[in-house]
Amino acid sequence: MKTTILSVTGICFAVSCTRVPAQQEMTTPMLQVTLSPVNDTVKMTEVKSGVYTPFFGKKDTSILVRGFMMDVVPVTNSRFLEFVKRNPQWRRSQVKRIYAESNYLLNWTNDTTLSPAMDPEAPVTNISWFAAKAYCDAAGKSLPTVDQWEYAAMADETTEDARNKTSYNKDILSWYEKPNTAGNRVHQTPENVWGIADLHGLVWEWTADFNEVMLSGESRKDVSNDAAKFCGSGSIGATDLMNYAAFMRFAFRGSLKANYCVQNQGFRAVKNL
Amino acid sequence: MSFILYPISSSNTYTMTRLKFLFCVFLSAWLLNACSSSTPEQTKIPPTEIKVVGESIAELTSPPLVPKPIGNREATKLIVNMEIVEKEGTMADGVKYLYWTFNGTVPGSFIRTRVGDEVEFHLKNHPNNKLPHNIDLHAVTGTGGGAASSFVAPGHEVTFSFKVLNPGLFVYHCATAPVAMHIANGMYGLILVEPEGGLPPVDKEYYIMQGDFYTKGKNGDPGLQPFDMQKAVDERPDYVVFNGRVGSLTGDNSLKAKVGETVRLFVGNGGPNMVSSFHVIGEIFDHVNVEGGGLVNHNVQTTLIPAGGASIVDFKCEVPGTFVIVDHSITRTFNKGSLGMLTVTGDENKQIYSGKQTEGIYQPEGSTIQNMPGEKVPDAPKATSHEERVALGKSVFAKTCQACHQENGQGIPNAFPPLAKSDFLNADVNRAIGVVLHGKTGEVMVNGAKFNGVMPAQVLSDEEIANVLTFVYSSWGNKKQEIKPAMVASQRAH
Amino acid sequence: MKRIICLLFAFCMACKHPAPTPDKVSDESIFNLSATWHTEKGKSIQLKELKGKVLVVVMIYTSCKVACPRLVADMQDIRKNVGNNDKVQYVLVTIDPETDTPAKLKEFAISKEMDGDEWTFLQGNPETVREFANVLSVKYKEISPMDFSHSNIISVFSPRGELLHQQEGLGVNNKETIAAILQAANH
Repeated sequence: MKTTILSVTGICFAVSCTRVPAQQEMTTPMLQVTLSPVNDTVKMTEVKSGVYTPFFGKKDTSILVRGFMMDVVPVTNSRFLEFVKRNPQWRRSQVKRIYAESNYLLNWTNDTTLSPAMDPEAPVTNISWFAAKAYCDAAGKSLPTVDQWEYAAMADETTEDARNKTSYNKDILSWYEKPNTAGNRVHQTPENVWGIADLHGLVWEWTADFNEVMLSGESRKDVSNDAAKFCGSGSIGATDLMNYAAFMRFAFRGSLKANYCVQNQGFRAVKNL
Repeated sequence: MSFILYPISSSNTYTMTRLKFLFCVFLSAWLLNACSSSTPEQTKIPPTEIKVVGESIAELTSPPLVPKPIGNREATKLIVNMEIVEKEGTMADGVKYLYWTFNGTVPGSFIRTRVGDEVEFHLKNHPNNKLPHNIDLHAVTGTGGGAASSFVAPGHEVTFSFKVLNPGLFVYHCATAPVAMHIANGMYGLILVEPEGGLPPVDKEYYIMQGDFYTKGKNGDPGLQPFDMQKAVDERPDYVVFNGRVGSLTGDNSLKAKVGETVRLFVGNGGPNMVSSFHVIGEIFDHVNVEGGGLVNHNVQTTLIPAGGASIVDFKCEVPGTFVIVDHSITRTFNKGSLGMLTVTGDENKQIYSGKQTEGIYQPEGSTIQNMPGEKVPDAPKATSHEERVALGKSVFAKTCQACHQENGQGIPNAFPPLAKSDFLNADVNRAIGVVLHGKTGEVMVNGAKFNGVMPAQVLSDEEIANVLTFVYSSWGNKKQEIKPAMVASQRAH
Repeated sequence: MKRIICLLFAFCMACKHPAPTPDKVSDESIFNLSATWHTEKGKSIQLKELKGKVLVVVMIYTSCKVACPRLVADMQDIRKNVGNNDKVQYVLVTIDPETDTPAKLKEFAISKEMDGDEWTFLQGNPETVREFANVLSVKYKEISPMDFSHSNIISVFSPRGELLHQQEGLGVNNKETIAAILQAANH
């Protein structure tokens, strides 16, 4: 019923804007249409503006990241449960396959119950990009961009850019060797200098533009790039192959499709200032 | 036939010889004619044109085993199911490592195909895994050897197909960035493509793959050891091993054969960096498929196996004994782990091997660094009881002594004396301490057998020597004596 | 393989529902997407308005000098080989909605002789483009205001919006794509 009303609105809207194509009018995202808002009160903290050289991109490319607010922890099972209670179309039995594959919320007992083995304060995982985005929309927030996420995540407990520190890379890599961290509670890893926890050491996290990563999984080719597959690809490549902790993160993003639901992947939200 | 025209006289040897000669000429002419004739036996079908018949699920085996030979079967559609598992395993006694594996083993499962097979490859990435992976099979003709089509996220499965065109033994490996790390963590294995009709039959076939490993800690440092990218870049491995770990092919795990049997080894080198000088001590390879391809060399002592390459070797086991399989870049064998064994049982053949010489034996060394005067001896944990001493000594034994004296102290006949129920040991404790401290050269009698080798001095602390000897004296029917560090110190002072 | 699954799925659907309601779309259908797009003719449409036709979809941007002209040529080649067929619609979605306004798209269509009824050009907004790219598994990144890096994929959807076939790369043989289109259109 709600859908019908909204598509009617859509048509009215459409009629009203046949004249000129104005960008601003059209920002209705395709998923937000039927969302009920959630009251997300998780603590956010400010990440201040700064310039950083992304791992991918030209070596001399510096990117200005404007200040933004970021959730201090990933979205938990209990927070996501509230969301699906209010938004039945995002329940496991209701979700459309185009938005989430069959292992969406795989370990839940049913549509609105977590399994007894799950910690409500553990990060929600087995979640698709569309579902993560819908949650953020419903909370009045958005998914971080790769730049925002990487910028926030290059900090350690004392420095804003700790990427050259051995300890920083060692800590990240040690996570790869710990099995089943996804079931741990959020906020058990130390907060970084911005006051944000769990960027490393808990789960992988979705980013808004994860699909801009051109890694095909064929790493030898990725280094030189394949102009036949990627237009303009010559300008994108790893700036520092030694930074293999980051390399693995980008490889992971490159292996994803937006409806994938992976056991070791969750998400957190940001808000632009 | 023409030779019938010649008179045959049994008393005329000249005629006989001549006759034989002519027969040979005739035969050769006939053979040549057959070969060059315009109606040849059968035109070879190009591999791309070979038709497949039916379909079956490929038998996959964990090392050191290989699937059944293909024999005379026709080309078929072969379904291969391979699961990627990231899991903790044992690198050496007391040393853990997080391996990334194809089907749970290092190297991954052995795949056996024949020319013309159409392989439908199902690559599954276990949901518990942290990382995406893929597979590049050197037997594939096509972009990336399959890597571009097989990139798969955790909890997902990809399928791709290829037709095997070239016979040979090929490496497969993961090619996901950072590729050196994926290989260094154990993501490699072998795929065999047999020619039509199969390889010549042999009695035993085994699967061995060498790999180099790079750990944060030094060789032997206990606990879960993380991967060290810097050492990998510098090509300074801490472990060079067969089948993913120290001791995978020794003791109870050693390969077995009987006298008179022919043994074929499918040997690969996963790398990522080291090139293998593959050698079996006391055997000569009758045939070697050089680099795993069609060129067959004969009577080879040591064959070079490049990283990302393979070799097929075979030989006949003529005499019983333990044949040590090594990378003849020899410090790797005695200091980094690339040591395996083939145990051949059966009757002696004194004509072939007298059993008294020590030819073919290397100066046996343990895997601790030997005789570097002035070097600081690392601190070892202090034992406070006999039991603790035994426990600590066991790990010293595994690292330092086991390669030669064997897991159960049984030694190797004619080469390394036994430590089990050893009259030599039990007779004189201080002499034993001295041997460990200073080494031993020349003839010794142990349990009635004569040995004439060299044991080098070991760079171990007093504590470690006390521990390892306490372990030895407390095991395998020896006299259960505790050796104190002070006793070692007093011998050292001598 | 994906294609096989899709075909298989379409086939199963056909078996299960011998007389499917034409309005019913499956979970996998792109007609579930409710975003609104502008066409080069200045109309606003939702994807589901294209229901009933085989859709051949590609993402490009008109100012591209490298790959897009070749992608467009591939689309033209496919169109030529499929021939006149009113059951097939060719859809070009711009990656660069800021620059590629409907007027710009129309100009582009005319210059490339792609202004027949079987061609549709779509302009969305950055967010809907990102989502649509995710549905097609197209990867793209803005390198500079005038330059994008993107993967070159031509996708074929059934009249009910289910993905049937994807062709990746430039100057690849269009044979399979054409076959997939014809099979779907003549079904």
